[in-house]
Amino acid sequence: MPEHAKSGATESDIEFVIARVFDAPRDLVFKVWTEPAHLMRWWGPKGFTMQKCAIDLRPGGAFHYGLKGPDGSDMWGRFVYREIVVPERLVFVVSFTDKDGNVVRHPWNPDWPLEILSTVTFAAQDGRTKITVRWVPYNATDKERDTFRTGRESMQQGWTGTFDQLADYLMKA
Amino acid sequence: MPADRLSATFAALADPTRRAILARLACGETSVTELAEPFDMTLPAVSKHLKVLERAGLIARSRDAQWRPSRLEGRALKDAAEWLEHYRRFWDQSFGRLDAYLSELQARETIAKPGEDV
Repeated sequence: MPEHAKSGATESDIEFVIARVFDAPRDLVFKVWTEPAHLMRWWGPKGFTMQKCAIDLRPGGAFHYGLKGPDGSDMWGRFVYREIVVPERLVFVVSFTDKDGNVVRHPWNPDWPLEILSTVTFAAQDGRTKITVRWVPYNATDKERDTFRTGRESMQQGWTGTFDQLADYLMKA
Repeated sequence: MPADRLSATFAALADPTRRAILARLACGETSVTELAEPFDMTLPAVSKHLKVLERAGLIARSRDAQWRPSRLEGRALKDAAEWLEHYRRFWDQSFGRLDAYLSELQARETIAKPGEDV
């Protein structure tokens, strides 16, 4: 187990946060996050379909999913629930898996943390619901934490898009 | 691209100074001396960063010229950017779909509610 105190990194240093407000009451939003029939309708990028969606909603239980991409590629993953506070909060550990639910490395980046602790809060706001998703590496090595930090900075500050355009340009030049 | 290569690219991109150097090189080939100026760094410090960037395949350094200019290499940068973009897209699009699905559910519920004008 790595000692994070040694490197002086605090969890908020490395935390990845995204938040969005949905125009729906909190009970409904919580429900569509925790029931398979609902999750199948929205989890995954555009064009992806859910080929497996099993949920055992209790601490220690898991959500195991399989997504099929428009190009026929598979993506498997799981959430292992640690805390369930209806309808306010979900805490779970996210991993990539194979189709049998065994934890595997990220298919494209072996230094991505094997496990990520995810905290999702559902805040009621005048009939609307603010969802906040927080990610921190869990049981991660220092290298995994560094990889996560890079990804986090890119995703939060949006420099990826800039470099992406730049790379595109350079490939053509 | 092999996974260990992406890993090296990632480690190189983790540092804000190295990202700034890449941004500077986007304007064209530059010598170590020129690169050192805006960053208020010693030449050996800049050289160290350039070595990391070169190993990661993000830049190439000319062997011919005395001043060994550095230039940006597109491929590694593109692979790293694509990988991260994939993550961002996953959430962005899932949330977009969730938004649409919630509207659909609520519209259905309004219609289904008995005793109300439709």
